[in-house]
Order: sequence, then structure tokens, then C-alpha cells
Amino acid sequence: MKTPARIWGVVGLLILLHFGLHVSLGFGEGAPDLLAVGLLIGAREVGMGRAAGFGFVLGLLEDAFSVLAFGANTFALTLVGMGGAGTRDFFVGDSLFFVMSYLVLGKWARDLLHWVALGEGLREPFVDTVLIQSPISAVYAGVIGLVVIAISGLGWETVR
Amino acid sequence: MLNGWPAGAGLGTMSKYKSDTNGTRKAHSAFVAFGFVVLSVIALLLPDTSQDEVASLLRDSVLRPFIFTQEVLGRRSIHAEDTEDLQARLDSLVAMIANSSTLLEENARLRRLLDLSGRNPDRYVPASVIRAGMPGSESMFLLDVGSDQGVTRDSPVITDRGYLLGVVRRAGATSATGRDWTHPQFRASAMTEDGSVTGLVRAAPGGFRGADLMLLDGVPFQQELRPGVVLVTNGLGVYPRGIRLGVVIEESDKQEGWNRSYLVRPFVSPGEAAHVLVLMPEEPDFLDANLRSEEGPMVPEQAAPEEPAQGIADFGARRPR
Repeated sequence: MKTPARIWGVVGLLILLHFGLHVSLGFGEGAPDLLAVGLLIGAREVGMGRAAGFGFVLGLLEDAFSVLAFGANTFALTLVGMGGAGTRDFFVGDSLFFVMSYLVLGKWARDLLHWVALGEGLREPFVDTVLIQSPISAVYAGVIGLVVIAISGLGWETVR
Repeated sequence: MLNGWPAGAGLGTMSKYKSDTNGTRKAHSAFVAFGFVVLSVIALLLPDTSQDEVASLLRDSVLRPFIFTQEVLGRRSIHAEDTEDLQARLDSLVAMIANSSTLLEENARLRRLLDLSGRNPDRYVPASVIRAGMPGSESMFLLDVGSDQGVTRDSPVITDRGYLLGVVRRAGATSATGRDWTHPQFRASAMTEDGSVTGLVRAAPGGFRGADLMLLDGVPFQQELRPGVVLVTNGLGVYPRGIRLGVVIEESDKQEGWNRSYLVRPFVSPGEAAHVLVLMPEEPDFLDANLRSEEGPMVPEQAAPEEPAQGIADFGARRPR
């Protein structure tokens, strides 16, 4: 059953898991980007302003570990949160296909924006990063997001 | 609104759809969102010191439990390291020390002959490396020691095998942030072990992170290096002399003018470092005091080295002068 408490409980758990896997256990790129998944799920439940604020806070937390380009994650997640909330005006999605597309495209957009914000001196090649690595990690995050939504009992209509 | 991204959009769920239908509220929400976007751009453009302060504040507050957990897990994994491997390394060190005892005596005798004063003891602080594994944190590491233990900005960080890992960038009271040799701004003055060829080492990004190499720049055109030559730091800059960097692989095509460049395979992959040594800064009073003047010593006779503080030990063997 979808309730706000359950949705935000799952989002909170995803955030904790993200930092637990990446920081506490040091899995690095082996762990999925649960921060993006949590943001994308949460963003569909609130307005554009709150979603952008939510993304801003999550981005700052992630940037606390960034020495290459502080602010790049903040910029990317703020825009993704804003965009995620904005999709409510265009799509009413309650299908598996929509959820998967939403999560994958959201994660890919997050990586693209991060690449843009990194600046010329720090970017790795566009093709390697945005066209090869990013789609793979986006599908990875999408699949994990689907699993989380399924096992948490939120149902596909959560992301809408 | 495009209803029903495709067929799955059931009518039953339509009634639950929530949106900012009120125009004013929607405009307000968009305005707030725009404000956050502006704030994120400001965060991106903040000066380095301000960015460091914000990041440090977050790491020492809300993110502290996660970092602490990795510290604990890291220590446990180090303790669980194969004892046979540790024993082998201990044995090789014992053999090395035994063989160098005559060298120490010889060195002391030559110093007396040349009227050189004794060298001040070098020190280090052992530390555990914590890696965040976040986008943008690839060249960064955290240390569980800080200024309370004597760590300062620009303290060199080496692995437990004596290979250069990186340098401390910011030292807090009990923790520090450093960047490893893969950072785009990493530079280290280098030389061959015999000191015949010198140059400047920097990171040479590979196709992916694991393929990162070092690039030795500025080697005079008439000097040629063969593959397999070991490079060490030459003592210029923040890194003390003699820290091992890597092995020359081949000449690079990135040569400029009358200089040669060489690709270097580093001894240490940053992700592998778990236990490191942070080299302590030299005492300023002793920096130029190794040579005695003709009238006598430039500084008073150096007292016997003080008893090392907890976690700080002599580190003489690694830093020949």
C-alpha cells in the first residue's frame, strides 16, 4: 500500500544504503547509485521546488567527498530532482515500462549533468563516460530501483 | 499532459494524481526550484577554501557515522591481513637492517670525517585510508589522523611499502583529506635511482580509472631511459627525496620541444592502499642545519632524539639525504 510514510521511509533507506555501500563498505562504482534512485522516487511525490531542494541537499552530501569538482553533484542532482518533479506534468506512469524508463533516463541525465559540470580539465572522454559507462550504470540503477519498489510493496504506481 | 505512458496508465490511478494545479503555487514552486539551481551553481563556483570548509563540515557531522564505520572496517581488514605475508615482510626488513648496520657505521664515520652534523630523525604517523567511492571523489582519500597527530597540509603520504600515494590537502583535528597521484594537479619532481636523469612526474589518465599511468616530463632530449628504470622523488617540492614512484614503461609521444616524455607504471594503485604512513614535516630549525660552518656548528649539538610520541616513530631509513 502506498503511503507517504512508506515512500519516504524507502527513500530514506535508499539514502542510508547508498552512503553505507559507497562510504562505509567502500564498494565504489560496484554499488548502484541509490541516491539518484531515491531522489527520482521522491521527486515524483512533491512539487518542483521541494524536489530541487531535496536534490540540492543530497548533492551537497555527495560532494562532501568530491575533491575534483565540488558542486558538480549538487548541480546535477538539483536539476534531476527538478526534472523528476516536472515529469508529473507530462506523464502519468504506473507501468513497469514507465518506471524503468524514468529511472534509467533520470540516472543517465544525472551522469550527463555531472559530466557537464565537471569542467573541461577534469572530464573524461564523452563517449567513454556518457555513452558507454553511464548507460550501463543507469540500467543497473534502474533494475535495482525496480527491485526496491517491488520488494518494498510500493507498486509501480509509486513513481508517478 | 500526456496521459498513459503507454498502456499501463490505468484510470484507477488517475484520481490519485497530484499536481501543482494552482497557478500561483506552481509558479512559486518553480521559483524555489530556480533558486536551488542558482545555489547549486554558486556551490560549484565557490573558492576552494570555502568548498573545503563546507565539505569538511558535512563529513564531520552527518556523514561521520559512515566514515567511522569504514575506519573500523578498514582497521579490521588490516588486522586480518595474511600473517604469513606480514612475517615475510618482517623477515626481509630484519635482513635489510642487519645488512645496513655496517653502512650506518660507515656513514657516521664519513660524517665525522667531513665534519657533518647528525641528521635529524624523520618521523611518520600511521593512518588508515578511507575512500568514498562517489562520483568526483576518485582522486581523493580520507585519513583517520589529523593535526592532533602532527599532520599538516602538504604532508606526503606513502604506502606501507614505501611507495608514494599522494599528499595531504587539508588537515582537521582528527582527520585529514588528501589527494593521490591520479589527481590532475599532481606533480612530483622525480629522478632515476642513480640521480642521473631528472624530470617532472604527473598523472596520465588512461581510458578508465584503473588504467591511469604516470607521465615523466622534461627529460632532456640527449638523455634516454630504458624500460624498467625505477623513478624516485628527488627531494624538490613537498616530497622528500627517495620515495619510489614507478617504473618506466616506454617513451611517450607527448614530447615537447627538446624534451622527452616517458610513461611510467606507478608502484601503487590508489584503490589498493589501506594502511599508509603520513610523513611528518621537517623541523624548520634543522632544515639548513646539516652543515656546520667553518667556525663550528650552525646549531647547537643536536640532543639525542626525543622519545617518539604515540603513533610516531623514526623513519630514517626511507629518507636518505
